[in-house]
Amino acid sequence: MSFRPCGNYHQYYRQDHAWWQTKFVWGKMILLGIFVFYLFPNFAGMYLISIANVVGYTILSAMGVQLLIGYCGQVTLGHAAFLAMGAYSCVLLMLQLHIPYPIAMIIGGIVGGLWSILFGLPSARVKGFYLIMTTMAAQFLTVEFFITQYVSQIGGRGVAFSIPPGTVKIGPWMIKNDRDVYYLMAILVILFTFIMANLIRSKIGRAWIAIRDNDIAAETMGVNIVLYKLLAFFVAGFFGGMAGAFWVTSLAAVSPEHFHFGWSLWLVGVILIGGVGSIHGVIFGSLFMTLIPEGLKFLIFVLTQNPIFVNLMPFLPLLLEKFLFVKEAAFGLAIVLFLIYEPNGLSYRWWQIKNYFNLWPFSY
Amino acid sequence: MEIFLQLLITGILVGSIYALVALGWTLIYKCSGVLNLAMGELTLIGAYVCLTLYHWGIPFLLALMITLIIGFILGILTEVLFLRPMVGEPVLAVIMVTVGLAFFFKGLVMLVWGTDTRVFSPTVFPQEPIFIGNIVIGQVFIWAFIASIILLIAFVTFFKYTKWGLSMQATADDEMAALSLGVNAKVVYALAWAIAFMAAGVGGTLLGNINGLNISVGYLGLLVLPAVVLGGLNSVPGAIVGGLVIGIIQNLADFYISRYTPGGVKDVFPFAVMVIILLFKPYGLWGWVRIERV
Repeated sequence: MSFRPCGNYHQYYRQDHAWWQTKFVWGKMILLGIFVFYLFPNFAGMYLISIANVVGYTILSAMGVQLLIGYCGQVTLGHAAFLAMGAYSCVLLMLQLHIPYPIAMIIGGIVGGLWSILFGLPSARVKGFYLIMTTMAAQFLTVEFFITQYVSQIGGRGVAFSIPPGTVKIGPWMIKNDRDVYYLMAILVILFTFIMANLIRSKIGRAWIAIRDNDIAAETMGVNIVLYKLLAFFVAGFFGGMAGAFWVTSLAAVSPEHFHFGWSLWLVGVILIGGVGSIHGVIFGSLFMTLIPEGLKFLIFVLTQNPIFVNLMPFLPLLLEKFLFVKEAAFGLAIVLFLIYEPNGLSYRWWQIKNYFNLWPFSY
Repeated sequence: MEIFLQLLITGILVGSIYALVALGWTLIYKCSGVLNLAMGELTLIGAYVCLTLYHWGIPFLLALMITLIIGFILGILTEVLFLRPMVGEPVLAVIMVTVGLAFFFKGLVMLVWGTDTRVFSPTVFPQEPIFIGNIVIGQVFIWAFIASIILLIAFVTFFKYTKWGLSMQATADDEMAALSLGVNAKVVYALAWAIAFMAAGVGGTLLGNINGLNISVGYLGLLVLPAVVLGGLNSVPGAIVGGLVIGIIQNLADFYISRYTPGGVKDVFPFAVMVIILLFKPYGLWGWVRIERV
């Protein structure tokens, strides 16, 4: 349906570069836009909206991880550190210097990017496992040491920086409840996806992909490896910082626990389950990783309401009580099973299904 | 000077535990090329199993033996179920499998044993400290040191003189050549995981005896990484020396540098050291320098 007849009938480069090339895709996108900006926020309950916010936050955070791992081949296990730098610089600028939120957010992104370059520097010398170690060290040095022990002391507010209501506003638009956060999230997700997709199909993106596929070959072809690797770290850190600064809106207080090592690993898990090297993968992975635990929780909750199941499986109430741990174990198992049985992730499956229906009923 | 000596000796004693766990880590890497990020959770499982057995009234030594056996079985199971399907997959995928395993094991441990700190009660080792000159050392440390040294020697002996140990060395050196000489690589991989599980379990138990046992003992699994990076990833003596050095550095830093920071550097200093090593000597002290060709 989104396929067109054989041959290229474009008359202008503009048509060739267009994201949505057929009327059908335009229609789909407009429907999606109506759903995202009108139907969902107006008709879904507050609970669903708050879940959607978590999904959006995961998408924003995992975008940088996808860029680094999926497109540039530089594995990062410390992305939460860059999120934390963005969030903290944004909050500090707002609370200490009373800088308006949008500017603080962008500065937060830049700080995250520069911080990311700092820990990406070893990538000029080492790669693979050694780089994983460096980014992991970034996590511990930044969050557990620098932020917890030094940044948190600024202003004498204690470990958690609470954000007074009404601080976060963009011009006249005050972001005060989940629905406002949702709109901001939707705008940012679209913006990030757009930037990312355009970067990937530009010269920069091609250089990144060349480095990912074979860095030595890329170097012999004239790609400046160090420059492009550091650029990838900067952009990923910028995305991370912006994501952290965005999440400030829905947190009552920013504290180091929001950016622990587990969250970094979680983000890598998101892109592995969604599909490495695909922007769809980020979105699918975030949806999967947020909705499945919620669904699991709901399932266990429903089962505990019925005495038959409780008698059958007496450990159910305990599971509900300790759901956090169940979620963690399920997440670990999901990653392992996905890597063993579905190494291309959800986005590959999506692509297959789409292709099947594109050619349906005459698929070969 | 006395303080320095005191710190040095404590560092060596704790470092021996790190060395034990690092040895397990290196074995897996050497034999199968898997970079294991689940080491901390392996230590947790071993430690909690031993604690449970001990609380059932089984004498400590026997409990430790049973822990070793359970670790052996779990190690082989883990390898067969989760790692064997990943042979030949990209490095990142294999690493992420171990990350997934880490989450899985951690979730299970917290589900079964909870998050409260538990102690070995009654205490396993006598409480009275030992005085060497002016240096005071808790007996727990001494016994932990002795236990790790015994196990280290046992593992190294196994590695050097038994048939299976030799075949592990052969596989680590050149997998293809080893296969063509009739070494069963499957058994070797499984054995490497089994040994790692055993070493980690004992390491966790010993550390749990020192500070009490909770989820943060799993941090040991991350501390192993600076140790192996320092020693070189695929060097057994490197892992042992790295573990000892990291133990010493950690203790010294805790005393001399922590006072200048608001919250102490004990937990993060090894990682700072690791970044510096990676910047200047990425293949560690005895690691193989890899020359890459297209």
